Amino acid sequence: MKKNSRRLLILLAAIVTLNACRPDKFEDTGAVRNVKTSLGGTWKLSKVTQKDEDAAQKGFPYSILDLTTLFPYTDYSITLNVTNSGQTTTFTTTPGNSPTVIAVANGDWNAGPSQYPTYLAFKQGSATDTLTLGSYPAGGRNVLQLKKERRDASTGKLLVSYTYEFTKQ
Amino acid sequence: MNKLIILLAFSCLTIGALHAQNPTFSPSTYTAEDQVTLTVDVTGTPMAGEAEAYIWIFSNTSIDRSNAALSAQYPAADGSTNTNWTNSPPEAKMTAAGTNKWSFTFIGTQIFGQSPAQLKDFGFLVKTKTGTKQTSDYKPNFFDPLVFTPTMLRVFPAKVSTSDIVTINFDRSLGGTVNEQRMTPVSATVTAYDETNAQIGTAVTLQVRVFATNTWAATFIPTRHFTPGAGHQLTKFRYKFNGTVLDISGATVNVSSAEQEVTFTRMN
Repeated sequence: MKKNSRRLLILLAAIVTLNACRPDKFEDTGAVRNVKTSLGGTWKLSKVTQKDEDAAQKGFPYSILDLTTLFPYTDYSITLNVTNSGQTTTFTTTPGNSPTVIAVANGDWNAGPSQYPTYLAFKQGSATDTLTLGSYPAGGRNVLQLKKERRDASTGKLLVSYTYEFTKQ
Repeated sequence: MNKLIILLAFSCLTIGALHAQNPTFSPSTYTAEDQVTLTVDVTGTPMAGEAEAYIWIFSNTSIDRSNAALSAQYPAADGSTNTNWTNSPPEAKMTAAGTNKWSFTFIGTQIFGQSPAQLKDFGFLVKTKTGTKQTSDYKPNFFDPLVFTPTMLRVFPAKVSTSDIVTINFDRSLGGTVNEQRMTPVSATVTAYDETNAQIGTAVTLQVRVFATNTWAATFIPTRHFTPGAGHQLTKFRYKFNGTVLDISGATVNVSSAEQEVTFTRMN
C-alpha cells in the first residue's frame, strides 16, 4: 500500500512537471500596422520651433526658439490622402498667412522607406520637398512631427532645423 | 658661495627637465573642433626603439563614472582608429618625429564621433600594430571649452539664409555706450544689400518685443521684406535698435544702438 502511494505521488509529480514544460500559447499579434494609413487625414500646425544646430552641438545657450506665436503658423494645415490599402496619393495645403512650411503647395506625397517610414516627400511637378518624420501618430497620440533640416550649401553641415508639430483634425 | 649658486642652478635645471611636458600639442590649446597634432616621446617605455607606432585613443577619461549625470553628458568613446587591438589599421599609424618621438594629427569631434559639448578630454597610448608592446596611458588631455561670448547685438540662429526666420537681439546690459546702456528699444531698423553692396529697397522698421531682462528682440523673414533687382541676390543685411533715453532735463531723446552687419549663408 505504502509502495503504491509513493508510485502515485511520483506519477503525479511527473504529470505536473511535464505540464509545466509545455510552451505557453501566445495570441496572434495580428497584421503589421500600416504606418502610412495612420498618416492620412488633415493635420493642423500647432507648434513650430527653430533650432540653431551648431549652437546646440557646442552646448551654447540660445539654441532653440519657439516660433509658434511669432508668425501665424497655426493657419497652416495639410491634408494627406491615403487609400484604404495604405497607399499614399495626393496632398493639399492650406497655408493661410503662415510662413512657408512645405515648399510645395499640393501634389503627390510619399513616405519612405516603405514599411517604417523615416521621411515624407512632397512632390509638385519637378519640385520635391522632403521632411524628416519625427514620430508616428500611434495609439491615442494624434500628433505628427516633421523636421526640416537646413544645411550649409558648400559643406553640407547641418546649421538650422525647424520642427513642425501637427495635430490631427 | 659660488658652489652653492651652481648647485641651486643645477637643481633647478634638473627639476625643469623632469617636468618637461610629454606629450606636447600643436597648437598648445585647442577645442574639440580644432585640428591638433600631439607629439609624444616614448623613451623609457616598452615602445622605445620601435620602428613603427600606432595610437590607441579614447575620450572623456577624467569623468567620474559613478556620477550618472556627468557620464551622460560626457560619454566615453573610442577613437575611430581603435578598430582592432591586435591589428591596428593604417589610419592609426603615427608619424615619426625624431628618435623615440611620434606624432598624430586629429580633430576631436571627428575621431570620437562626438559633439563638442560631449567632449571634455581624451587619453591615448602608443602601441605596436599587433599590440604586443604599449606605453601606459597619457591622460587626461583637456579640450578647451567652446565658449559662448555674449554680445550686445546677436542674431539667432548664428548663421541664417535669406529664407530663414531671423531674430535679432539687443542686450542693453552689454551696451558699449551710455545711450546703449540706458536706452529702452522700441524698434529695430533693418537694411538689406545685394552682392554689389547696393541697398535693396528701403530700410524696414520692425517692432521689438521683450525677450528677457534687459534684452529685446525682433523677428523677420528677409525674403518677405526685401526683393533684389533682376540678376542680383540678397547678400547681407545690417540692423540696429532704436529707442529713447531721458536727457539731463528729463526730456525724451531718440537714440540708436551701433549697427551690425550679417552676411547670409547659402543653405540647402
